[in-house]
This record gives sequence, structure tokens and C-alpha cells, in this order.
Amino acid sequence: MAEEPESSLQLPTSIAAEGEGPTEISPETATPEPPSSAAVSPGTEEPAGDTKKKIDILLKAVGDTPIMKTKKWAVERTRTIQGLIDFIKKFLKLVASEQLFIYVNQSFAPSPDQEVGTLYECFGSDGKLVLHYCKSQAWG
Amino acid sequence: MEEDEFFGEETFQHYCAEFIKHSQKIGDGWEWRTSKDCSDGYMCKTQFQIKNGTAVSHRGTSAHVQTCLPMEEALEPPLDDFEVMQTTTATEVIKYEYHVLYSCSYQVPVLYFRASFLDGSPLALKDIWEGVHECYKTRLLHGPWDTITQQEHPILGQPFFVLHPCKTNEFMTPVLKNSQKINRNVNYITSWLSMVGPAVGLNLPLSYARAAFQDEGNVDRQGSSIEPKSLEEL
Repeated sequence: MAEEPESSLQLPTSIAAEGEGPTEISPETATPEPPSSAAVSPGTEEPAGDTKKKIDILLKAVGDTPIMKTKKWAVERTRTIQGLIDFIKKFLKLVASEQLFIYVNQSFAPSPDQEVGTLYECFGSDGKLVLHYCKSQAWG
Repeated sequence: MEEDEFFGEETFQHYCAEFIKHSQKIGDGWEWRTSKDCSDGYMCKTQFQIKNGTAVSHRGTSAHVQTCLPMEEALEPPLDDFEVMQTTTATEVIKYEYHVLYSCSYQVPVLYFRASFLDGSPLALKDIWEGVHECYKTRLLHGPWDTITQQEHPILGQPFFVLHPCKTNEFMTPVLKNSQKINRNVNYITSWLSMVGPAVGLNLPLSYARAAFQDEGNVDRQGSSIEPKSLEEL
């Protein structure tokens, strides 16, 4: 994958004025309690090494799903889709009865155990992986 | 072909055919079966899963299970296949059958499935719920009777578990509309199955995600314009 880390990583930093997000997730941001690990952090200040441990993900809302203020995130390659779903649900403060789906190619939901690193290899372009997300009442 | 304004049986069969084409390419095991009078049909696949859990083989030959090894370790030692089967067959291997049928009343595809141990004894609904992926467990167990039920297979007439389809239109519509915006033809079956399958142990390989668009030349344009007409009928 093309390494253009600098330009893509700086995007969220410019949102710093809102006091939201660009740094590691911490209580003073608008997020609810941070996920247990900092495996998902807004894309910023990532050392652009040869083996980037984190990949850039751009999250896009589908339908009437709330839009995340911070859309660009640096995520560890080993983070699973399920982990990302849990993170977004917390971030958007969804209730347990709501299901959240994540898609690649805007229409295909990878299985929850799929690692984002793999998805990045398969579907990433321009140094990032675009994922769409949609909340729904899928069951019943 | 204005009749494809809704998701009709023909559209269903078309998408299944495209889906199976890709399945054959990658050896994913899906097949099409027709009913006796060939008026309708369904897609099906059988797969075997090893259930994590108590690894002790009660009925297996105890000579091969000297200690209560966890399943993974039981498979690692250089036992020949027969011995491994003895250890795992009795309790841990579960056969899943997944059937994708078309529901006339909801005008959407429906996922039927059943699971049994290799000796033929079926899994109970309780076991099915326990096997649901963590990701979906909370929501599914929130109202279990609304989500996974047991029904008679419309073609085979045998009891199957079913993922209730009444919300299918609701969660498919935003996805389809989104794709239409960028003029993309989406295989409804691929998209839908990728969403509901993992809840019950059915995971689609990632290559399906790309295959959905490679058939752009073949996909009936109207087929992708799936307006939620059936919502009016609910």
C-alpha cells in the first residue's frame, strides 16, 4: 500500500480546536468511557515506520446513522470488525438493542472476527480503508 | 422489466446464481436445489464446525484420549486421521446446513439453518443461541423469540431454525440506496448474507465482496433497484 501517512494523518489534528478526538482517547473528549485499549485512536502522530502497526480507516455513515465527528482513525491491524463495531457503538452511544454493521465496498459486511489489517490489504486505497457503517434493528 | 421494482423470486434466483458462480470459483460449497416441481428453489451449503467446549470425549475410544486435552491440542499430536476422528466425532463436530430461500410474504431472502452432531442428534434452540456470535448475542437474546425461531422448511418440510425476516427490508434498504447513489450494482444476496450469516456461524470469504461488482455487466439493472415496496404491505 502506498505510504502517504503525513497528509492523511494530519486531518484530524485540524479538528483539535473542538477539543475532540485528535489525541488519544481520554475522558475529557466527547466520547463515552474509552475502549479498554487504545487500539483505535484518531489518526495522528503515527510514526511512519516501515511496518505501520496501525492503518488509517475512514468511517462513513449510511442512511440515518449518526455521523461521527471524528471520521478518520488510526487502528491497529489486529483490531477485529467486532472490536470496531463495539467502539463505534460506544462512540455513538447506541443502545444494546441496536445493531451496527460495517461494510467494505459499501455493501459487504465482513465477518466480526475479520481483522482490519486484512481488510486494508484487500480493500484499502490511497493509504486508507474506507468503511461504511449503518445502525439498524436487524433482528425481529 | 418493471416488475423487478420489488425483490421478486426471479431477482432472487438471479442473485443466487451469481452468488453460486463465485462460490464455485472459490470452492465455497454453495449449491442450488430445486423443489420437486422445479417451480422454486433455494441455495444451500453444509459445513462442519468444531465447537469449543468440553473436550472430553465421552464416547470416543479412551485409549486415544489419555488426558483431557483441549480440542486444539487433541488435534496437534501426530495421530492419524482415524484416531483424530475418534476423539472429536462423538461430541465436538457439528454439522451446519444453511439454506437460503425466498419468502413470498416478506419478499426477501430468508436464512434457514439446522445443526446436528455427527451422530445425527440435532442441536436444540438453546444451543443455537449459545453459539451466536458475541457481536450479535446481546441483541438477539434481547428478544429471542422474535429473531430465531423454528419453522418448517417450505420445500423440504423438515424443521429448521429461521432468522426472522421481517426487518430484512429495513436494514437492507439503506445499504442498497447507498450503493445506488454511486451507481453500483450490488448482489443483494451477497450483501444480505454477509450481514446475517455471521450471527449463526456462517462467514463469507472476503472475495465475495469484490465479486459482487465484477458481474456488473450481467446484473439486471432493475434487479438492483430494490425499492422497499413490501414495507407498504407489512
